[in-house]
Amino acid sequence: MKRLGPFVLERRLAPPRHVVFGVSLLAVVVALLLAALVFWAYGVSPVRAYSEIGRGTLGTVGGLSDIVRRAIPLILCGVGLTLSFRAQFWNIGAEGQLLAGAVAATGVALFVRVPDGFRLPLMFLAGFSAGAVWALIPALLRVKLRVNEVISTLMMNYIMAYIVEWLVHGPWKGPTMRGFAYTDMFPVAARLPYLTGTRIHWPTLVVGVAAAILVALLLARTRLGYEIRVVGQSPDAARYAGINFTTVLALALVVSGGLAALAGVGEVAGVHWRLRSPGHVSMGYGYTAIIVAWLARGSPLAAIFTALLFGLIFAAGDLMKTTLGLPFQITGVFNGLILFSLISSDLLMYWRVRLASKEKAWTGQAGS
Amino acid sequence: MNVRKLMLLALAVTVVGSLGLGAQAIKAGFIYVGPIGDYGWTHAHDVARRIVDEKYDWLSTVYVESVPEGEVETYIDQLVRQGCNVIFTTSFGFIDGTYAAAQRYPNVIFAHASGFKRAPNMATYMADFYQVYYLNGLMAGALTKTGKIGYVAAFPIPELKRHISAFTIGVREVNPTAEVHVRWIYEWYNPAAAKEATEALIAEGCDVFAFTEDSPTVIQVAAERGFTSFAHYSPMYVFAPDYVVSGQLVHWEVIYDDFLVKVHNGTYTTKNLAHVDYWWLMAQNAASMGAEMGMPVNPKYVAPLKAFTVNHPQFGRISVYDLVFLRYNQFADPGITFDPFEGPIYDRKGNLVVPKGMWMSYDHLITMEWAARGVVGPWPGEP
Repeated sequence: MKRLGPFVLERRLAPPRHVVFGVSLLAVVVALLLAALVFWAYGVSPVRAYSEIGRGTLGTVGGLSDIVRRAIPLILCGVGLTLSFRAQFWNIGAEGQLLAGAVAATGVALFVRVPDGFRLPLMFLAGFSAGAVWALIPALLRVKLRVNEVISTLMMNYIMAYIVEWLVHGPWKGPTMRGFAYTDMFPVAARLPYLTGTRIHWPTLVVGVAAAILVALLLARTRLGYEIRVVGQSPDAARYAGINFTTVLALALVVSGGLAALAGVGEVAGVHWRLRSPGHVSMGYGYTAIIVAWLARGSPLAAIFTALLFGLIFAAGDLMKTTLGLPFQITGVFNGLILFSLISSDLLMYWRVRLASKEKAWTGQAGS
Repeated sequence: MNVRKLMLLALAVTVVGSLGLGAQAIKAGFIYVGPIGDYGWTHAHDVARRIVDEKYDWLSTVYVESVPEGEVETYIDQLVRQGCNVIFTTSFGFIDGTYAAAQRYPNVIFAHASGFKRAPNMATYMADFYQVYYLNGLMAGALTKTGKIGYVAAFPIPELKRHISAFTIGVREVNPTAEVHVRWIYEWYNPAAAKEATEALIAEGCDVFAFTEDSPTVIQVAAERGFTSFAHYSPMYVFAPDYVVSGQLVHWEVIYDDFLVKVHNGTYTTKNLAHVDYWWLMAQNAASMGAEMGMPVNPKYVAPLKAFTVNHPQFGRISVYDLVFLRYNQFADPGITFDPFEGPIYDRKGNLVVPKGMWMSYDHLITMEWAARGVVGPWPGEP
């Protein structure tokens, strides 16, 4: 507890939900005001900027569908990451796991003989397995050799990105692509259907929402979920309770990596219809999903909404480039301001300001 | 107002309206893969956009930069919503998104750079450099003292393979034992990787440099060590006035100008573009030679190039300077009388790739995978 003139600063252990929501909203408003300054400095009226952005993103079917489409990979990666974060495993590797899924799906789409009706399900299955394996490696390294997972998962991203680069420049380069570094186009049976009138590849969206619900149930209602939470909160207590640390962490990471990989399957089967250079397959969804999961405070269901928020931020950035003719760097500034405000607002949630009451100050019983 | 007056008014409105349609205002949208400040491909397209935008009062333009390849359709949607009736997409990777959008918006005209898919409302266009690279190669062959020329290359795709081989054929025409050492950096824009590659090539003994990367890095690194180089894509003379010999310059505006004027006067419509493919070279002035606009050869290098003479099988004793401009004029002539890839040509593995007396067709050129004799270094996808 700190005394500031007539006020007292108190620490909160667990901020109530309305405080989290209110402070986050305030952070977004502050970010928008700061961004307004940037728009104004660039010679674009902030009022016009925000009305154009609002109309273009939330005001049209096309705009809304762009938000959802950009949110799909973020939901899948984000939900997966909430699980590994609950186990206190800092998985920075969703990007590589996503690409692993894209690679496996491409392999099935182009090179495996399978009846048309089974092709897409098999792509999702192969993608999930590839992502699971890619996430399992750092999990086992951590448990068996105490390798720091932040470093190992991050490095695994680079390895997978170079594997993708090698594949599209080397063995998988499409004969019909005239020498350019792309695989051939997927056959029609390997492409995901769109929601009519949009480019939302809805099967991936359904899988993402279902995954969020299932992971929420897993965490709240199952023995494995309980063990994951215990492992996360106190590894010593977990060991004392006879929880098998290796198995629990491995299972959590199999699901976490597998879900991120499903996002990759969705991107190649629903957006690109081919494998191409890694920076264009993913656009950093695996990294953005870290913030999605963090803002969702480890709740898989909340991750759906934070993913949509980032879909909105991305879509707003797109609009700024076209409608307002702002340079692409401004989009980065805009996204950065919102992120910066949200993350720094975290501090506010854990402190409460109130008027100092004289009696309590005198008895010294206030606060924690 | 009686019925007759009303009908006359309606007629007048119709006539005026249709006149307006005949010479409609054009709003052209440009979608770029890189940032306009890259000083290469995207920069050159944007310079061209500004030139045509200022030239015609019936034309307004908008652009979007740094568009990821998978997102091109989203941006096309937004540009169409904003009222663009002509849309240019300037990266090979935009090919399928542009094609899909052309199906979805049959009343919008599309043009896609460097691709091969066309539709009644979608044309393709490309300004290619292989002739210019050959001319640069002639000069590089004359200027190297070590017999090793360094080439920093972006991606091993047919476009670059064509350019490096044309360059090498030029080098060998005046210096039959010289080698062109190639380093791939797998990026279109990466000054750090370009610097590293240049330094590695210097360590290998290269003393003249050419490159395909969207920054002047290779020129700067070579100049620091006193080595000469050839500019790529944009005027780069200013970055090392004493060391840039010549280079390749692009003029996308001649293509944009021609295309948009034909849209404006009704020659091109949304129904007749299925066979419109621009493959414009030096004869159309879409590509030109020089380190700076209006400076084909740096004056500092005129004397050494004039002093270097070769015994040419076709022209006898001739200075490289004269040979360069002889070839230059052959390329600039609309009825081109010479091609760098004139057979017989053997690739570096000894296979006959162009038979005697033959030229490569457009399809051969844009799918070319082999390496010319004299190219040294890895060559992914070599047949």
